[in-house]
This record gives sequence, C-alpha cells and structure tokens, in this order.
Amino acid sequence: MSAFARRAVRVAIGALLFAVLAWALWHARSPQRGANRAAARPDTVAAGLKAVRLYFAAPSGDSLVGEARDLVEGGTLHDRVTALVAELDRGPLHANAVAALPAGTSVLHVYLDDRGQMTLDLSRAFVQGFHGGSTAEYLAIASLVRTVADNVPEVKRLLLVCGGEPLSTLGGHLPLDRPIDVSDWP
Amino acid sequence: MKHEPAPDARRDVGRTRRGAAWAGLALTLAVAVLPHVASAGRAVSPPIEPRGLEGAPVHVVDQKPCVGANDLARLLDAAKYWRADVRKLELRSGAHRVQLTADNPFVIVDDATLRLPDPVRSVHGELQAPVALLDSLPHDSTLARLLYDARRGMVLVVPTSGTVGTPRLSVAEGVTRLTLPVDQPEDAQVVSRAREHFRLRFAGFYAGGAADSGSVGLVRGVRGLAAVTGCAFELRIAPDAAAFRLVREPGRVTLEVSRAPVAAWEAFAPEGPSGPRHLRIVVIDPGHGGADPGVIDHGLEEKDLTLALAKRVRTELERRLGVRVVLTRDDDRAISAEQRAEIANRARADLVLSLHVDGFANPRARGATALCPPASYSGASGTRGAPEAATLAVLPWREVAARYAVQSRALGEAVLTALELRDSGPTRLRETLPIELLGVNAPGLLLECATLTNPADRERVSGDAGQDAIAIAIADGVEAWQRNE
Repeated sequence: MSAFARRAVRVAIGALLFAVLAWALWHARSPQRGANRAAARPDTVAAGLKAVRLYFAAPSGDSLVGEARDLVEGGTLHDRVTALVAELDRGPLHANAVAALPAGTSVLHVYLDDRGQMTLDLSRAFVQGFHGGSTAEYLAIASLVRTVADNVPEVKRLLLVCGGEPLSTLGGHLPLDRPIDVSDWP
Repeated sequence: MKHEPAPDARRDVGRTRRGAAWAGLALTLAVAVLPHVASAGRAVSPPIEPRGLEGAPVHVVDQKPCVGANDLARLLDAAKYWRADVRKLELRSGAHRVQLTADNPFVIVDDATLRLPDPVRSVHGELQAPVALLDSLPHDSTLARLLYDARRGMVLVVPTSGTVGTPRLSVAEGVTRLTLPVDQPEDAQVVSRAREHFRLRFAGFYAGGAADSGSVGLVRGVRGLAAVTGCAFELRIAPDAAAFRLVREPGRVTLEVSRAPVAAWEAFAPEGPSGPRHLRIVVIDPGHGGADPGVIDHGLEEKDLTLALAKRVRTELERRLGVRVVLTRDDDRAISAEQRAEIANRARADLVLSLHVDGFANPRARGATALCPPASYSGASGTRGAPEAATLAVLPWREVAARYAVQSRALGEAVLTALELRDSGPTRLRETLPIELLGVNAPGLLLECATLTNPADRERVSGDAGQDAIAIAIADGVEAWQRNE
C-alpha cells in the first residue's frame, strides 16, 4: 500500500471516529431521548410565573377576601410555601382587604407527609406579632389555611408549629395543638 | 395572651371611627325596627328611615320631585357660584361642574348640555332641580354618587359599600333562586344557615322596591332587614331543602336552593326539636384573667371588662330565670382551660357562656362574634359527621362539646339576635370549637360581646350603661333559647 493510500485510510478512520463521537454527543443531549435524565434534575431551576390565590381579611373582620397574584414559581415545596407566606405578610394590594397574618411572619421549614399532612414551621413573629381577639386569630389562621390549601392542593391537613416548637394556640381562643383539617376552614 | 395594639393602630382607631360606626349599624337597626314578613305572599319589608346616611329631602314643585340647590351642593361637596344677572348657579366640585339656570330645563354638566324633563325652578330664592338630574351626574371616585329614593322621599349619598336591589324569586330545574342586584357581590355573606332563620347579609344599603312573593319553590318566606349602610334578608327555607350555594357574579348575587343534595354545595344546619329547654345551672366564664389580660386598648383590659360583664349577666339571669349561676372566676386570676372545663362539668352546667371582648387590627371592625362547636365536626382523628349519631363513640373527650353543636348554634343565634336588637351589631357566628369549650360537657358559646378596638364599641363596653345593655341582651338571648319557641 502506498503512503498516499495509508494516509487516506487514517483520514477515513479519523472521520469515522469523529462522526461516531458527534452522533453519541447529539444522542445524549437530545431532548427526546434524554428525557429520563432531564426529569431527574432537581426542580429548582424553573422560573415561570404562576397565578396563585391569596386570602386576606375583610376590613370588617367578617370574612376572608381572595386576591389573585402572579408569583415567580419556586421549584421546591419549601420555596412555594415560603413565597405564599411572604406574599401574605406583604399584605393585600387592594383596599378592600387587610393583612390577616401577624406582621413579620415567615416560613422556617415545611414538611409534607405522604398522607397529605403538612407541618408548617413559622417564625416566632407569628406569635409575637399577634394582636387582637378571636376575630384576628380566626382570620390569621383561616388566611394561612385557605392560601396553602388552595395553592398546594395535596395538603389535606395542616399542623402549625412556631420556631420549631409545638404551638398550642395563637391568641388563646383556638386550639392549634392538633392538625387542622383544611376542609373545616371554608 | 397579650394583645396590645401597636401605637399606630391606636391612632388609626380615632381616625376611622365614623366609618366603622356606619358599617356596624346595618343589621342592628333593621332587626329592631322592621316589621316581619311572617307569612308567605307578602313583599319584603320596606326599609326604615335611614339613620346616619347622608341625604336631603325631596321637595315637590309643580308636582315634580326636586332637590334644592343648597342640598345638592352639600351632598356633592361643591362650591356655589351665583350669577344674579342671568340667574345661573354653578356648582363646582373638583374637576366637575354643574350649571343650573332658573326656569330653564337645560343644564350643563361638565362639558355636556342636557335637557331635563322639567325646568329648574326657583322657590323662595333657592333653585330646585328635578331629581332626573341625578342620573346625568358623572360617576367617578371624585364625586359623590347620589340616588333618588322615591319611597323615602330623599336624595341619598350612596355609601362606598353600594346598594342592594329588589330580590326576585324564581324556580327552574328543581332549583329555587333568589337573585338580588348588588353593587359589591363579594361582600355578600350567609350569616346563618338554619332553614328557619336563613340569613343573607350585604354591605350595601337596600335601595330596592317591593319584592316578589315571599313563597316560591323552596323559599317559604322572605323577611327584609334593611338599615343604614347595610342590609340583610332572613329566609324561611322548606324543611325538605337539602343544599344551597351563594353565587356571586358582577352586579348580582344569587342564592340557589336545591331539594336534592348537590356535590360542593353547602348543607343547611341541623335543627333540634322545639319546646322549652332544661335550664337550671348556667356557668359564666369571664375570659382571660391574671397575667393574661386579653385585648388591651386605650388602657382598658379585656380581663376586667369580662369580669364586670359576667357579674352583670349573673344578676340578670338569676333575677329573670331563677337559675343558679356559677362564675369560673370572680376575681382577677388566671385559670387554665382545663380548670374552666372542670368547673363547668362539676357544676353540671346546662349552659356555658365564655365572655370575651374582641380586638382587630382594623378599627372599623366592630360588633359581636360567637364561636360554637361545628355541627359537622372533624377532629384530629379524622372522624366526620354528626357527633350526636354514630360517631359519638369515637369522639375524643376534649371535643365533647361537639355533642351539643345544634343547641350551641341555636344559643349563638338567639344571643346574637338579641345583641343586634340592642344596637351591638353587626354580629357573626363562627362554627369552630374554641379552647374555652374543650372538655365542656354542655351546650356553650365563646361570645365576643363587642370589639374593643372600635371606638363606638369601646365606649359601650367600658361604660355602665353599655355593660348593662349588653348583659340584658345576653339574658334576652338565653331566655329566648330556653323558651325555644
């Protein structure tokens, strides 16, 4: 075999190897064939807007007032619930409602078990910032329960804790030492 | 727990006291004054003369209803400019202007010239504008909205809560509907879901006329409860009605009642048998105490007010009903929820009233609230259904008060109605088991008698006359509950 022929064979083999590698790389990054790998990625990179429904108190203290709002969608459950509570703490955008949650309340931890019971650990401001009687207490809890239940539909019951410790009551009128059945708070 | 409002909140109390007073008068005045439409076939009761609602009388000139220019200027908060040479009066309010000319049907509203059906007249030196002018006034947030109320013979300033129009009844496909035109449908509330006393409340004031017959389909009677800036209707619903829902749409609210159960619709509250109830021992629990002052506002502490009120209620009940009254505390000391329940159960109470005074961040909120065990109760164990039936066996002791849910709710309605009659409204009944009734083996209520953070309520609940009125109202309610007619 002549030198020219040997070089031609080497070039052909190199080109073949390059083609195989290119195909393998394309195959691995293909959105269809690589779907399993993409689904296994953590869901914290999503960055869409999602419509949520928040509940504040009517100024008369009679009831809750719903308010639609768009939030940047958080990937994890913790992110979503934290964003919801932060918006409740921020207060209503319209004059037909007032904030029901004690000022400064934030989420420390969130845990959802496989039976739909969410344990929501709130900052101490939830208790320390509370002022009022049973109406303020009822609406603060109702605001939280309805907002979580509407936007995280897998939640069936909600147990509120504060600063990592059990919470027996918020204002002395309503028991919080047991999980709240969200269907009891329409 | 301690609930002293922030200094800012206390300052706000003073600033917004008038708004709260208007809202609170709504149901109260109506229940007290309006005649009932007890039987089927009569119209909704006419509204009472508005009190506290800004308005002006209408004068009849040449047999036409007219409003005086001075009244018009006052209601529109307008400045007056009079040109005697051409007998023209211009009213200016913000960017708006209305020009009236004596003996002339043409008026100028902003930049538009309008022709009224009748000319503007001059009577005793004051121009009188036909009420048709009100329909041509601009509608925006800078100008008061005026309404000619022919029945009252007045021109009224429509409150921000809007109006409620004439209710109409209809039946279609087995569903009975009560439809009302409502400016603010989101404010409509079902405040009582018992069939015999089903109540709807609206923030707007009743500006409707004669209504449909009170008995159509499953609705056996409609009783109109109109008042200053709010109104309510009490309906009698047929016993075989199974479910209802309130549909809020832009411009109207519809109550739908169905004979058959419908998924996602609400059920009516169960009701017990009629006839006098056994009432021998009443336990009154003055809320809070000791290191727990409850709500604090303007130097007043809830624990002191509830104790004083409890003593007055005790005197009133003993005098009127001859019952034995036990207080869970008669001085300033703290007792736990368990101790309160133990006192009630040891006394073999037939009735437990836990007296409280409410507080809310918005000083406009006022009135009384009752918390009673829900008739359909799901405890921590996840059990559901009427506790008086088969689920009694699995009811935890701490939730034993749920056995008396029906009686407790009836008590709540009786007491709240009595409070409304004595100007302590608006009222609201919440079916949720309060801590004060955990482990209490008797019918009971947590009653927030007034709202301390509201100026009008604070004045009432902190004075002798006001406390007496509240105590009498509570005794009225207990007596009505005991009679159970």
